[in-house]
Amino acid sequence: MARLRIEGLCKGWDFPVIDNLDLTVEEGEFFVVVGPSGIGKTTLLRLIAGLESADAGRIAIGDHDITNLPPYKRPVAMTFESYALYPHLSVFENIASPLRARRLDAAAIRATVTEVAKLLRIEALLDRRPGEISGGQKQRTALGRTLVAKPQVFLLDEPISHLDAKIRHDLRLQFHALEELRRVATLYVTHDYVEALSLGDRIGVMGRGGLVQIGSARDVFLRPRSLFVAEHLGQPAINAVAARLTGEGTALHVRAGNSGFGFPVVAAHAAALARGDIQRVTVGIRPQHVKVLRNGEDAPGHHVIDGRVEIYEALGANGVLVADAGGVNLTALTSPERDFTHRQPVRLALQTDAVFYFHAESGDNLLL
Amino acid sequence: MSEQSARLVRTLLLIFLGLWLILTLFPLYWQFITAFKSAAETNRTIPTFWPEVWHFENLAAVFAERTNFDALVDSFIIATGNTVASLVLGTLAGYAFARFPRQAGGENLAFWILSNRMFPPVAVLVPMFFLFDAMPWGTDSHLSLIILYLVFNMPLATWLMMVFFRDAPRELEEAAYLDGYTPLRAFIKVTLPLVLPGMISVAMLCWIFAWNEYLFANLFVGTKVRTFTIVIPTFTHGSQTLWNLQMAFSMIAMLPPVALFILLRRYMVRGLSLGVVKG
Repeated sequence: MARLRIEGLCKGWDFPVIDNLDLTVEEGEFFVVVGPSGIGKTTLLRLIAGLESADAGRIAIGDHDITNLPPYKRPVAMTFESYALYPHLSVFENIASPLRARRLDAAAIRATVTEVAKLLRIEALLDRRPGEISGGQKQRTALGRTLVAKPQVFLLDEPISHLDAKIRHDLRLQFHALEELRRVATLYVTHDYVEALSLGDRIGVMGRGGLVQIGSARDVFLRPRSLFVAEHLGQPAINAVAARLTGEGTALHVRAGNSGFGFPVVAAHAAALARGDIQRVTVGIRPQHVKVLRNGEDAPGHHVIDGRVEIYEALGANGVLVADAGGVNLTALTSPERDFTHRQPVRLALQTDAVFYFHAESGDNLLL
Repeated sequence: MSEQSARLVRTLLLIFLGLWLILTLFPLYWQFITAFKSAAETNRTIPTFWPEVWHFENLAAVFAERTNFDALVDSFIIATGNTVASLVLGTLAGYAFARFPRQAGGENLAFWILSNRMFPPVAVLVPMFFLFDAMPWGTDSHLSLIILYLVFNMPLATWLMMVFFRDAPRELEEAAYLDGYTPLRAFIKVTLPLVLPGMISVAMLCWIFAWNEYLFANLFVGTKVRTFTIVIPTFTHGSQTLWNLQMAFSMIAMLPPVALFILLRRYMVRGLSLGVVKG
């Protein structure tokens, strides 16, 4: 068992996909890479697996440099987004494949496969072909195939993204429970921020060229380094409003839209913003920090603005309201039993001390 | 109106299919009845469409000559030998073109190999004869035709196998690498089983071509080795062509490919549709 160390990794085709990426995943750590589709997450896994060769950089597991080893000599197991189960072999043979590769004897193979199948609750399916089982069962089979290999690094590529919501939740819980995954370095790739926040000991947000922020799930969520990171974590997505800062010193004010959207900057933020002498920013307000007030309700510590309802969706666990507030579209989270009609006037309370300020061009978080 | 025109289209289609059926089945019917006619009956000015007397002994007469049976054996050796060679070479080459197109010489080389199948064979008939005559195995041998037919069957096998390999997901091979299989073992464990239906189709096409080939066989072999295709035209008696024995023998010679087709029909359909339907 050992840690995975990546140094200065580069890979590109017509354009650089991964540019000088450094990452260490400790033994026993569950590291989740989250990012939009097509950004290079799978490429990163394929580089570690040896299915692509790096243009530059080094990949090491423990003390062994594996940069130039072929995939079949690397102590790495990987699940594919498509599961990549062998269609002509039974579930049993699919799971047994890494053991057959090592030419273990039949009794040992049977014992190991049965044990893993029991763990994943697919022992009743061992005689079936992959074409005869459901998506969730296929995913478990693919997972079983990687588990029996007893690798030093697990690579999981969008393992549960294509499953329906209930099975996704089941499997997410199962990932939490799998001891095996907690003993080795695991790299888990997903585009779903919920999976990242739920599973990752640490997460890395992948943007163009590599990981733009690495940290604990909570830390990345609360202190996004850039607008890109903030936009990628959270559903519904953060409100990003192009705005101007007016005022002097620590008495700053945010202004945006064409008919007077604005609020005062809290003192703690103003101090940080004043240092940079910045006029144009992108303000980030998470929907859960916009409260839709009931009649006569007060919101101490919030800045209240008037708006009109554009769209309202009652989604079971919560309601999502989009309101036009002085020329700016704001998304707010409400409780689901409330009801709104189109163009109905509402009062919105902004929790101004939870607002992010990003640089208008670079998108950097100005408060960090 | 539309119902009327639909019926018209249907009627025309049925007429076309009927004509097509007559066109394809008539030679078979003619072969069948001729095989059981007497020699005299085959030479009537006004042909009979049903044998007056069924001469089932014609079938036995074909095998009365030992050389006729040997010709079937020779054809079988050549067709099978050539099919095995075509399949081995075509599978390996097809894999290379599908997975390593740049290292294998690219689309142009692949197309050049296929284009070898397009030239009229008769154009190289004589040069090929002299070329093979200079080889250690000469022209009048099994090996000469086994090798010669590669000119036609290997491009076909290469091209078709290339298409089948392209359709076999690369990810499955990669999964096998990560399971710890070397490229050769991954090829045998995963890729080959996936293209097996395709290989069976290719094998049938190659075998039937080699089994039926006449042009080159007629020039190359004939003394030590004789294929049935060059033996059939020799069924004569004086100046008279023995149509009944020719038909009886060709009917027998048709049986192996037909049997093969019926046995492997399931794979054939799957193999040929492999490139059409993904899944």
